[in-house]
Amino acid sequence: MSKATIIPFGPQHPVLPEPLHLDLVVEDETVVEAIPQIGFVHRGLEKLVETRDYNQFIYVAERICGICAFGHSLGYAETVESLMGVEVPKRAEYLRVIWHELSRVHSHLLWLGLAADAFGFESLFMHCWRLRERILDIFEKTTGGRVILSVVSVGGVNRDINASQMDEIIHTLEGIEHDYHEIMQVMLNDGSVKNRTVGVGYISHESALDLCMVGPFARASNVAYDVRMFGHGGYGELSDFQPLCATEGDCYARVKVRCEEVLQSIAIIKEMAAKIPAGDIAVPVKGSPAAGAEAANVLEQPRGECYYYARGNGTKYLDRMRMRTPTSQNLAGMVSVLEGCDLADVNMIILTIDPCISCTER
Amino acid sequence: MFTSEFLPLALENVSSEAARRKTDGWRFVQLLAVADNTGTGDRDSTVDLVYSYMKDGMLENLVVKGVSVGDGADVDEVASITDKYLSAFVFENEVHDLFGVHITNIAIDFAGHFYQVPVREPMTIISPEQKVARERAAKMAAMKAAKEKAEANGAGDGAKKDAAKSEADIEAKLAALPPEKAAKIRAAMEAKAAKEKAAQGGEASNE
Repeated sequence: MSKATIIPFGPQHPVLPEPLHLDLVVEDETVVEAIPQIGFVHRGLEKLVETRDYNQFIYVAERICGICAFGHSLGYAETVESLMGVEVPKRAEYLRVIWHELSRVHSHLLWLGLAADAFGFESLFMHCWRLRERILDIFEKTTGGRVILSVVSVGGVNRDINASQMDEIIHTLEGIEHDYHEIMQVMLNDGSVKNRTVGVGYISHESALDLCMVGPFARASNVAYDVRMFGHGGYGELSDFQPLCATEGDCYARVKVRCEEVLQSIAIIKEMAAKIPAGDIAVPVKGSPAAGAEAANVLEQPRGECYYYARGNGTKYLDRMRMRTPTSQNLAGMVSVLEGCDLADVNMIILTIDPCISCTER
Repeated sequence: MFTSEFLPLALENVSSEAARRKTDGWRFVQLLAVADNTGTGDRDSTVDLVYSYMKDGMLENLVVKGVSVGDGADVDEVASITDKYLSAFVFENEVHDLFGVHITNIAIDFAGHFYQVPVREPMTIISPEQKVARERAAKMAAMKAAKEKAEANGAGDGAKKDAAKSEADIEAKLAALPPEKAAKIRAAMEAKAAKEKAAQGGEASNE
């Protein structure tokens, strides 16, 4: 039996700009145990809810993460609206879905680029990020921001998208779709990609359920769960929505699910743009959440299900705001999938899980 | 269809409930702690724990009320559910490090080193803003209770009703004042009432 060696991975690592540390216990070239460690960037953002009123905190919520910024502001707003019994205008719900799906496209393109970079396919990385820039351009034109959008408010949204802007979005997305098919072709069929992903980091359907995994990580193991299928807000207006799954359960399946979700998101945006009703984009919200009132909500972020909880205390401040991010839920799956893998595959496996430590620590 | 509801859970049933849910095919969603607003001084000493499970679009949040935390001898011990749901290790370590909840037998236990925080159990600190909010909430509750009491007493005759209303109004106003100021006003009112009573007694004896 070979001698066990502990190899530290992170928190500073070229493949993952997130501060995640792993103690990898290896025997020869095989990882026999992975012990995760986070906690390097805990910022106490949830505690800030006690000193910011429920309207101000929305700007804190969207700064939890630079990639899921819109999603966090949306999840927070929906939870406070549920706490106060606020009904959002239909047009605002559609606009929220459009921006949220654009965020998903930008997040997945960013991730696909990082994945390409991880297995040394630099030109593919650049092409993915080139397309992502066009999504950021849409954000800038419609909201004024490229990363932090600040368009969601409790009761609706702050900005509208007019008809000409909507046409421009659809035109841009059609252009992106054309280029994206070529990228997807390479991602899913190129030998150099398959060599690094097929059969690597396998996790079975049963294990995915047992470890309560969420998001593309779970859907790649054929767990048909996506919060959007519950028809929250504007998602309830979609003619059809089915979670995109794969059965292989390996890194390749995780790449495939994300690749296909980009096209699904573009289709959702097109449908929302075609159906969006005229009307108000926000309702005035007055009063404060009742003392002891509680609300819980879930939202499908690009990385998976995110859970939000709020408790009121009768004032404009909340007693507690909680965000349970998809990465927190997937850490157990990550530890499990790393056991038994080759040391050289660790970076690819971690990347396909797409952990976001900033979100996780808040 | 998505539904979300909050249900009570006894502390001693945390582990058995997790086992039951696991057998019935529920997915563990999360565990969170929230200070239960009963703390005095600088820190909260008891928290509520919320365990969330989901199945077929039903999100059930099971609330364990009044779990005592910190370093005291009477601190509550909470059984880990990581033997049923491994994914709970993140949240159990989190509520330990940030709230001081004592959880026993966590599968991956960081023994207080999960989060690198400069202050021990930072989420139990009662901030000045929170203190003000709690005082205000207590005053509002006192005012509401006084109003309800006055309404309940309002079945009598007009004069009695007016007197009760006026008394209730005074009580409500006193409840909104700082305790020291309210005590001074009450003492002055009592002194005035005693003086009036004494004066009335004197007049009666003269007659």
